[in-house]
Amino acid sequence: MKIDTRQFGTIDVQEDKIYTMPAGMPGFPGMKRFVIIKREEIWPFLCFQCLDDAELCFYIMNPHLFKADYKVNLAQVADEMGWATADEDIKIYVIVNTSGGTPEKITANLLGPLLIHVKRFEAAQYVLHNSQYSHQTPIFVPQSDQTETPAHE
Amino acid sequence: MLVLTRKVGEKILIGDDIIVSVIDVNRGNVRIGIEAPKRISILRHEVYEHIREENLTASRAKEAIDIRQVADFWRQTEAKGK
Repeated sequence: MKIDTRQFGTIDVQEDKIYTMPAGMPGFPGMKRFVIIKREEIWPFLCFQCLDDAELCFYIMNPHLFKADYKVNLAQVADEMGWATADEDIKIYVIVNTSGGTPEKITANLLGPLLIHVKRFEAAQYVLHNSQYSHQTPIFVPQSDQTETPAHE
Repeated sequence: MLVLTRKVGEKILIGDDIIVSVIDVNRGNVRIGIEAPKRISILRHEVYEHIREENLTASRAKEAIDIRQVADFWRQTEAKGK
């Protein structure tokens, strides 16, 4: 099917690749259907485009690219979401905020990651409980601050 | 808004499966216990507000800078790091 997007004009998406957000997203009531647009030119970012409002899209990314030790308790998430506890079916993304205006000031929301169940085609913005992560974490960190622990997927 | 007065140890029932208990009161701090089904999201209101505001700014930020520029910057930074 053809959809209108904010960044890429009208594009073709497969109907079976539409993610629903049963709980919606804080700040955007009623916006429930999204697609993930992958484009070489914007990697490592992906576009989380809403189908209910063509003007609404978020840039998301894999948090482990800048925070290798980032962890979300997926068992707890699956429990709360009514998802079967198959960790490998849940992908973790974070929403990127570019309002700083320069690349160095770009932050990602590590407190409220976007979790995507790739088999159920459901997504949820899950707010972590009692977390030390910030909703405004810089994504460009000095090399020396990066940890060497392997990424947890 | 419904306003109720409760003593420490007393509870409030919301619907038929949410129980709110007053655990302790100490110098302006109230400790509250909540029993609810797992599907019910329970958050400190200010945390929810942070997330909501962050979503709103993130969604409106696209004019601030072209994402392709950020992607380029990312690739350059990564290349330098290796």
